[in-house]
Amino acid sequence: MENLKIEGTDRAPEVDFNFENNTFALRGESYPEDITAFYGSVLDKLDEHLSSQNGATIRFDFELIYFNSSTAKVLMGLFETLDEAAENGNEVLITWTFEADDDNMEEMGEEFSEDLEHAKFEMKSIEE
Amino acid sequence: MLAEETYKFRNYLQEQGIIFCYSGYMTEEVLSGIGNAIKRKLELEHTDRQTAKGVFSIFVEQVQNVIRYSAEREGGEVEDDPAEIRYGVLTVGRKDDQYFVACGNLINNHDVDRLKKSLKQIKELDKEGLRALYKETLKGETPEGSKGAGVGFIDIARRATNGFDYDFMDMDDDRSYFCLKAFV
Repeated sequence: MENLKIEGTDRAPEVDFNFENNTFALRGESYPEDITAFYGSVLDKLDEHLSSQNGATIRFDFELIYFNSSTAKVLMGLFETLDEAAENGNEVLITWTFEADDDNMEEMGEEFSEDLEHAKFEMKSIEE
Repeated sequence: MLAEETYKFRNYLQEQGIIFCYSGYMTEEVLSGIGNAIKRKLELEHTDRQTAKGVFSIFVEQVQNVIRYSAEREGGEVEDDPAEIRYGVLTVGRKDDQYFVACGNLINNHDVDRLKKSLKQIKELDKEGLRALYKETLKGETPEGSKGAGVGFIDIARRATNGFDYDFMDMDDDRSYFCLKAFV
């Protein structure tokens, strides 16, 4: 699948999906005007790709500064998708980067990762 | 006369601590514009970054509630009409060392009970309870009866470090007025 790179805007995150290397990242702010229009096709491509993988090493980096509640729903689904990929014989590492003083973002990372059964998860705090 | 009237209105807003006030049809463009101005104002005031994030998040959830759910609207006769616009009143301000974000809009009477019930539930929950309900709602596992506890309201409650108030007012047979004010 062709790699996918979408530049971030004020309201939508940078999407950096390298299907060849199995490295994926979302960076920046996420409160897009139309949540389905933004995430729909991007995540469909990811789903399709992940379901074709077996024995692969997959890495997903979340480097989000702010997201709204509609995005939170999308992220919850994305964590489930990644855990499924790990269940299906892939090695999956998810990283969650947050600003050191951002308790809310830290808690969100903890909450999303609580239900992971197969994927590995790492939290990374950075100073602003 | 014109200046005097407008100046009085301005003073009234300032007495309430209001920094931003928008009354009208809300769109995603309005959200972007006001949102950027709020960010800039909070930066200029050297507001603590996490406080600023809280204010901004609550602002986004409140405005998106109006855009999606206000019962006062133009257009929208067909489902998902892209031309549809909905009306609400938003204020952002600071009083007694707290920031607040308040928003009011009309709602349909048949939504009042459901909304009252879920807001009452959210208000009574502690931090852990909010966290659990937030997650249940995200996963679509909301138990029957608390349906409609929109994830947006739970998010507001979690970020409103100094709590929130809400109120309903009867209007007529069809509609009521709803307002929610959150404090950070």
